[in-house]
Amino acid sequence: MTETALVTGASRGIGLETVRRFLHNSENITTIVMFARASEDFDAAVEELRASSPVGRKIVTRAVDVGDRDALHEALESVHAEVGNIDHLVNNAGYTNPVPLQQAEIEDFEKTMSVNVYAPFLIVKWLLNHGNTFKLIVNIASTAGINGRSGWLTYSASKAAVINMSQVMREELAIYGTRVVCLSPGRTATALRRTLAPEEDPTTIMQPEHVARVIETFTSPVGRFIDSENIVVRQ
Amino acid sequence: MYSLILLNGGIGARIGANQPKQLLKLRGIPILVYALIQADRVEKISQIVLNYPAGWKEAVEEVLADYAIATPVTLVEAGDSRHASVAAMLPHCSEDDVIIHEAARPLVSRRNFEDLIEDEHANVSLMTPISFTVAPVDPETREVTGSLERDRLRNVQLPQKFSKADLAASHEQAKQDGKVYTEDATLVADSGRPVYFIEGSDVNFKVTTPTDLRMAGFLLRPEEEDDD
Repeated sequence: MTETALVTGASRGIGLETVRRFLHNSENITTIVMFARASEDFDAAVEELRASSPVGRKIVTRAVDVGDRDALHEALESVHAEVGNIDHLVNNAGYTNPVPLQQAEIEDFEKTMSVNVYAPFLIVKWLLNHGNTFKLIVNIASTAGINGRSGWLTYSASKAAVINMSQVMREELAIYGTRVVCLSPGRTATALRRTLAPEEDPTTIMQPEHVARVIETFTSPVGRFIDSENIVVRQ
Repeated sequence: MYSLILLNGGIGARIGANQPKQLLKLRGIPILVYALIQADRVEKISQIVLNYPAGWKEAVEEVLADYAIATPVTLVEAGDSRHASVAAMLPHCSEDDVIIHEAARPLVSRRNFEDLIEDEHANVSLMTPISFTVAPVDPETREVTGSLERDRLRNVQLPQKFSKADLAASHEQAKQDGKVYTEDATLVADSGRPVYFIEGSDVNFKVTTPTDLRMAGFLLRPEEEDDD
């Protein structure tokens, strides 16, 4: 069976490690689409992945800021034309600028919502409107979306929205037989975590590849036996 | 290959809504969508002939586009009765064999359609045994006039399939005889053409009342599907 996966925020952290797991370990996924903002990190990651790619695996990339709606739609249109149906979608791209309420700017709150909430919504909606049938959608939320954290208002609120939106997606997309999983990682050594907790030693917390292994499990045959509205992964 | 006649013209008088019940929402999704998505996945259905209550064409077209229904759909305005609607939709069917379903049965499955298609006979209906006793009565005098043998009775469900020629000829005959039917399996059988049944499904009930809507919503929960 040949299946296609789309991963957003794929240039580093959980997104990149998820692509790596799919590329080297998945039995079914033969085409992987990577969405990430243009960066040297992204170019280097793609180069490294292609160099180590097993035979018969295809990597498709789009340099796109998922918070930019026009660019996102353009990327979806071209990818849809190139690879056809997206079977597995991992909405991983995330943004945060943690500041106290009194200092939070509405424009920054809107940007946070655009990347963390509206982008997953727009990707799923656009593909469904174009006849795509998903097997699995994984939305990456956060434990900060379960309990709000002081100083993280915009991020916590956006991730709470992701958790709730995932519950609705899970119910509405049941008519297609699509599984929707919301994954809330706790402290994970990513660039986003460094923004949230710059004082923390990243070697002491959960690593992105650990979360990626959990995501890979969802796409494996045993993954269909894991059913929960919000799965917390923490060390 | 089959043309699917999907009846979608009824106004939800009994359900108490001021819009066609097929556009009423079941778990937040227009009821019509459930049958459309199942039928859209059946390979042997090459065309869907869908009717709409007068004034609701655009709303139905919007649903078809939003849910990206891939099977070609022909839209026909609903007639005054179910019987009249089927008669008006038949000439729009491009295949020699037709399937009839109604949007008000949202719990139909792709499997139901495929079981019907796989049956060797041309004219077949899903039916279920009845678990209660039906008595013939005189409604005027309230007198019970006899008994019916339950084992020889069936609850008629949809979907049903027919040879288009048989269905058209039976409708013509009913028209000439001045008879109006509430469904087509007995219409075709009464015309002397053979109709058979296969086992239906007890969840494939018709959503008619607010209680039905709640029951269907309960059965459509993802947890229920998981537990099948």
